[in-house]
Amino acid sequence: STDGPASCSSGCESCSEYNGCTKCRPRLFILLERNDIRQTGVCLATCPVGYYGIRNRDVNRCTQCKIENCVDCFSRTFCAKCKEGLYSHSGRCYHSCPEGLSTINSTMEC
Amino acid sequence: LGLCTLRHGAAGQGQSTPAACSPQCRCDEDGGADCSGKGLSTVPAGLSAFTYYLDLSMNNITELPANVFRNLTYLEELRLAGNDLVFIHPEALSGLHQLKVLMLQNNQLKTVPSAALKNLHALQSLRLDANHITTVPEGSFDSLQQLRHLWLDDNNLTEVPVGPLQHQGNLQALTLALNRISHVPDGAFANLSGLVVLHLHNNRIQEMGKNCFSGLDNLETLDLNFNNLKSFPEAIQTLPKLKELGFHSNNIAIIPEGAFLKNPLLRTIHLYDNPLSFVGRSAFQNLSDLHALMLRGANMVQDFPSLTGTGNLESLTLTGTKIRVIPADMCEDLSVLRTLDLSYNEIEELPSFQGCMRLQDITLQHNNIQQIDHHTFQGLTSLRVLDLSRNQLRFIYHDAFLSLSALTNLDLSANSLASVPTAGLSALSQLKLTGNPAMRSSLSAKSLPKLRSISVPYAYQCCAFMACDSTPSSSERDDRTKAVDAEMERVPLVVHCSPSPGAFKPCTHLLGSWMI
Repeated sequence: STDGPASCSSGCESCSEYNGCTKCRPRLFILLERNDIRQTGVCLATCPVGYYGIRNRDVNRCTQCKIENCVDCFSRTFCAKCKEGLYSHSGRCYHSCPEGLSTINSTMEC
Repeated sequence: LGLCTLRHGAAGQGQSTPAACSPQCRCDEDGGADCSGKGLSTVPAGLSAFTYYLDLSMNNITELPANVFRNLTYLEELRLAGNDLVFIHPEALSGLHQLKVLMLQNNQLKTVPSAALKNLHALQSLRLDANHITTVPEGSFDSLQQLRHLWLDDNNLTEVPVGPLQHQGNLQALTLALNRISHVPDGAFANLSGLVVLHLHNNRIQEMGKNCFSGLDNLETLDLNFNNLKSFPEAIQTLPKLKELGFHSNNIAIIPEGAFLKNPLLRTIHLYDNPLSFVGRSAFQNLSDLHALMLRGANMVQDFPSLTGTGNLESLTLTGTKIRVIPADMCEDLSVLRTLDLSYNEIEELPSFQGCMRLQDITLQHNNIQQIDHHTFQGLTSLRVLDLSRNQLRFIYHDAFLSLSALTNLDLSANSLASVPTAGLSALSQLKLTGNPAMRSSLSAKSLPKLRSISVPYAYQCCAFMACDSTPSSSERDDRTKAVDAEMERVPLVVHCSPSPGAFKPCTHLLGSWMI
């Protein structure tokens, strides 16, 4: 593997030819992109759509957002942006607001 | 791609006029401009007035001068992450009346640029994480009345910015993780009635005021992991809607009685990696949404915790305690339990687990269990794994495993058994019996048709399960023919048996020990 900043992508501290970036510069998020059976590491300051960043002492990671109908997660349990046309309430996305709540169309919230 | 046409709702005479795009950027037809990673040290000129999304991240911009985005009045998302921003002029963001998302993470800011934020009345998401912020000036967020999500994690804050947060009634998600906060005062989040998620993990929190979370009436997720808490966070009692709670990796020794009495909606509690010594017997009662409970190493606990009203537990791990007795009615409360780990306790006797019909995995290793009765595992037709190793088992009822039709793995190693009943073990594929020196009789392969791996106390016992290549003496041949006659039809061979017999470990048990 060709470890060494010169050949690594932007924001990367160490990389390999086969797996791309294996360690990012401090405070950047590592995103593991899948190409067939291969995983390639990329360093980002913002995780792409469909992912959110988890910061920890040792590594910051882009993690898949698995909240239903969510485009942009704040965390594992909270959606910051729902798909177009859906209403958000308490960090989840609804086609129609839960019972007892009315819709606020200007902000698409319940 | 260089053309930016009018976006719906944008002012214009209806005719699509080709809008400009900076040569250093890629613009799309919707008014998005991507200028990220271009090595820019200043904001590029020549962007269309109708730009609604501008990505300037991963460049080398160190400061934002006044009015730099003055003509981008339709801008809704501005990304400046991963630059070297040190200074943002108070007028740098003026004119951005429709800005909803501002990303300033991964820069070099030492304080919140409160003056620059003052006119962003439509802002909903503000990212300031991964800077070097030590102070949050009073009033920093006061004009941001639409703010929903605020990232202040991975900075150098030494205290909760109580004042600046006090007017944020619409804020729903806040992270202050990875700072140097050591104390959370009473009323720290008093007016944040809309807050749903609060992350405080990876700080240095030692104590918290009993009322430090009062006002957080809608909080559902609280993350206190990786702090220095010495006592149980009693302040959670003011959080009626709490569903996810984490305080693992702290210094908490005691979980008090009724610890979660005021948090009936809890689904997950992460409390591992605490030097727990005592857990109140009533601590985990009435948590009907709790699915998993993991308690390790509470070495002074002697009584099995009461789980009445916590009827949806699917996984219970309770290890490293001084518990000797499991309540006979345990399964009345835990009818949907699937995995049960009670290893490394001091359990002597087992109740009937009959009521726990969905149990798939039971681990009871390293206790003082002496006997298995016929009703102990009766009715557990879903049980797949049973680990009873490292106990003091002397006797197992002949029909103790009769209903375990799905059992595939059985570990009885390191006990004091002389024999093992095999009735009912038709699905067993792995059996461990080593460490039962009194078990000398040869085993029958016939009742274990699916067996693929077995470990036995003596090598000769493997001969019943595999072709033995040693050439027996005439007397040994007689014994072998008798053994073969006893097993009528040809039994499928076991894939692996240990210790496997060989030249020095003949198939005959000689003079009380095969070693001679």
